[in-house]
Amino acid sequence: MNENPKIIAFLCNWCSYTGADLAGTSRMKYASYVRVIRVMCSGRVDPTFVIKSFQEGADGVLICGCHPGDCHYHEGNYKCLRRFHLLQKYIKQMGIQPERLRLEWISASEGREFSELVNEFSESIKALEPSQIKESIETFS
Amino acid sequence: MEEKRIGVYVCWCGTNIAAMVDVEKVASGLKELPDIVVSKDYKYMCSDPGQDMIIQDIKNHNLNRIVVAACSPRMHEITFRKALENAGLNPYMFEMANIREHDSWVHTNRAEATRKARDLIAGAVSKVKWHESLEKRSVPVNPATLIIGGGIAGISAALELANAGKQVYLIERKALLGGTVSALDLTSPFLNSARQMIDHKIKEVMDHRLIKVYLNSEVEQIFGYVGNFETTIRYNKRETRLNFGNVIVATGLKPFDASRVTNYGYGRLPNVITALEFEQVLKDGVILTRDGREPKNVAIIHCVGSRNEDYNPYCSRTCCMVALKFVNQLKSALPKATIIDIYSDMRSFGKGCEELYSDTSKKNVMFLTFDHKADLPQIRQASYDDPCNLIIEFKEKFSGEPIEVPADMVILMVGMEAHENAKQVAHGVGISMCGNRFFIERHPKLDPVATTTDGVYVVGTCQSPKDIPDSVSQARAAAARILATILAGSVSIEVTTAEVNEKICCGCQTCIKVCPYSAISYSQEKKVSAVNEIICKGCGTCGSTCPTGAIKSKHFTDIQILSQIEGLMSLQEVY
Ligand SMILES: Cc1cc2nc3c(=O)[nH]c(=O)nc-3n(C[C@H](O)[C@H](O)[C@H](O)COP(=O)(O)OP(=O)(O)OC[C@H]3O[C@@H](n4cnc5c(N)ncnc54)[C@H](O)[C@@H]3O)c2cc1C
Ligand code: SF4
Ligand code: SF4
Ligand code: SF4
Ligand code: FES
Repeated sequence: MNENPKIIAFLCNWCSYTGADLAGTSRMKYASYVRVIRVMCSGRVDPTFVIKSFQEGADGVLICGCHPGDCHYHEGNYKCLRRFHLLQKYIKQMGIQPERLRLEWISASEGREFSELVNEFSESIKALEPSQIKESIETFS
Repeated sequence: MEEKRIGVYVCWCGTNIAAMVDVEKVASGLKELPDIVVSKDYKYMCSDPGQDMIIQDIKNHNLNRIVVAACSPRMHEITFRKALENAGLNPYMFEMANIREHDSWVHTNRAEATRKARDLIAGAVSKVKWHESLEKRSVPVNPATLIIGGGIAGISAALELANAGKQVYLIERKALLGGTVSALDLTSPFLNSARQMIDHKIKEVMDHRLIKVYLNSEVEQIFGYVGNFETTIRYNKRETRLNFGNVIVATGLKPFDASRVTNYGYGRLPNVITALEFEQVLKDGVILTRDGREPKNVAIIHCVGSRNEDYNPYCSRTCCMVALKFVNQLKSALPKATIIDIYSDMRSFGKGCEELYSDTSKKNVMFLTFDHKADLPQIRQASYDDPCNLIIEFKEKFSGEPIEVPADMVILMVGMEAHENAKQVAHGVGISMCGNRFFIERHPKLDPVATTTDGVYVVGTCQSPKDIPDSVSQARAAAARILATILAGSVSIEVTTAEVNEKICCGCQTCIKVCPYSAISYSQEKKVSAVNEIICKGCGTCGSTCPTGAIKSKHFTDIQILSQIEGLMSLQEVY
């Protein structure tokens, strides 16, 4: 169990960040463990951002983009999806459980879905032990 | 490397933030962090005194980076960037931490919300250290405008622009201009003739030398960027290429399909008709039932498909007044008939609307109410010995009693919906739809006709249900916005584009394959790739794909985001 997980979320500006803003303007309450980083498109989420987050001690990383077909730049989310599958394999090899990394589609009108996603993801990360990646990297170097 | 002198400002937003985040503690705690010269909290950072405080501090303390922790950057990033500019600092030396929408408004534990605010600000501070000055770029504006949809909204915008001397291309998918208004008889609330209004507007458009109308045409995909768009349409079986600087989307409404509410028997009971069909009856000039008799009892039912979770949750905003319009027209055409108006709430906001209601209620009309949240009225065929054709059963809202109302004709006040093809239109022009499938404006209050795609505007009922005056106001507002950019001669475009470092690029051309706008090209001569920054929209996909790290996604560079991650994770758990 991990009572105080640290979660980093990369949200694309046009759909998911706006959806998270909508959760705010609608005063929907959700768990407070997530720290959001805004990127213009989910396609901008470089694998190193995800690895870096785990290295810095994140227990979970969430990537959110527009629904398939709705990306503001047409297809950035497809690029992200493809990369996501590779990344999950890669972090597994690094010794990070793949369920610590999630990719979900949140549209600008899905404030409720965003708040539910954060709650659900937070619970699933809480159920895992705290991530040891940061410590193991520190002992290595 | 230059010395970093950062100013951090934590906003209370009245009590919006301060009630859930200990803003004073956050601001004073930040003073410990390196490179922070000034750290303050203030009631309303976006107010003039708030902005002045930043400007004065920049000047007095020689600040070169600013972080404001307040609402969403989607709200006030531009406001604060302007403040930086006013203080002589490059507007991109700025970063916002969203501690309202993403924090104080969504959490319930003050200690946790305060800690989160602190982390978000620490992330923003780490990121802003790597910000660089970016120079605004501007491009000339093509003075022509493309308008999609030839209803009253599209027509009004077209005339406004063309009368100012600017070229307009008006695309209408049907064979005639006019849209829904062409199908109306009179218009609420002042009961003027729709035909007189729309017919001469259509003529004016068709005759205007600066408006080129393309009937039976649709637009598929628009290319380019604000000031310089282009598209190809099929017109008269020929491909026609159009170039224009701005786009107005005015694709209008689709009436709700009444047969979806099975209670009302629309499609099965011939004397149950929709509001739009009744407009045609009124235009034809004789009100008769399907079997050719003059109706003795006419009932009107409100909120058909609107304000109901099973259909559309929203109010369609015009149908109450349209119903009262019908009541008045029925009263004068059939003075002896009984008119029954069955509503849930009477929504009569707007100029002349409450007056229409109060005048109509003096006219011996039977107003009855139902509860739109409970069971909807049920319409059934009357039997032979009943003195009417139909019977409407429902629970009267105030008494709670079930009642039966006789009718020979029932008019269903169908609501407004977005068109089925709204999604294709949204894609074609690069805008988004809300959960109810209406197009989303850039800001619901402060920027209601622009969209998040520069140069694309949404007006009329494709943006949300509204009446004619509101549709026309939006249309003319968008036209005025466009005229202002044409007058300025140039518009500033995205500066947060991608850039290839020629020294690092290995010429693999992976980036060319992923760019959705074909903004990158390969130079045979130099054996490296280069970004055309006018076409690039700054999505950053090439930056995250380039295997050598040669591409810099400006303002969202690798080092900026990696530092933001470090910052977010840097502070101690306990606080
Ligand atoms: C029964 C009824 C009665 C009403 N009565 C009143 C009244 O009395 N008073 C009042 O103020 N308001 C009234 N309204 C509301 C009024 O009709 C609307 O406010 C008005 O029509 C909105 O105009 P618009 O241009 O936004 O849309 P529309 O009138 O719907 O016009 C949209 C146009 O765009 C075209 N189009 C759609 N998609 C495309 C595409 N992809 N490409 C090209 N063209 C496209 C359509 O063919 C249409 O011509 C009534 C509405 C209804 C349904
Ligand atoms: S305007 Fe009136 S009839 Fe139309 S949806 Fe709203 S309340 Fe119902
Ligand atoms: S992906 Fe990177 S290295 Fe390859 S061509 Fe593009 S900029 Fe050069
Ligand atoms: S940032 Fe996006 S639009 Fe710009 S060149 Fe790269 S992939 Fe193309
Ligand atoms: S802009 Fe949202 S995923 Fe591309």
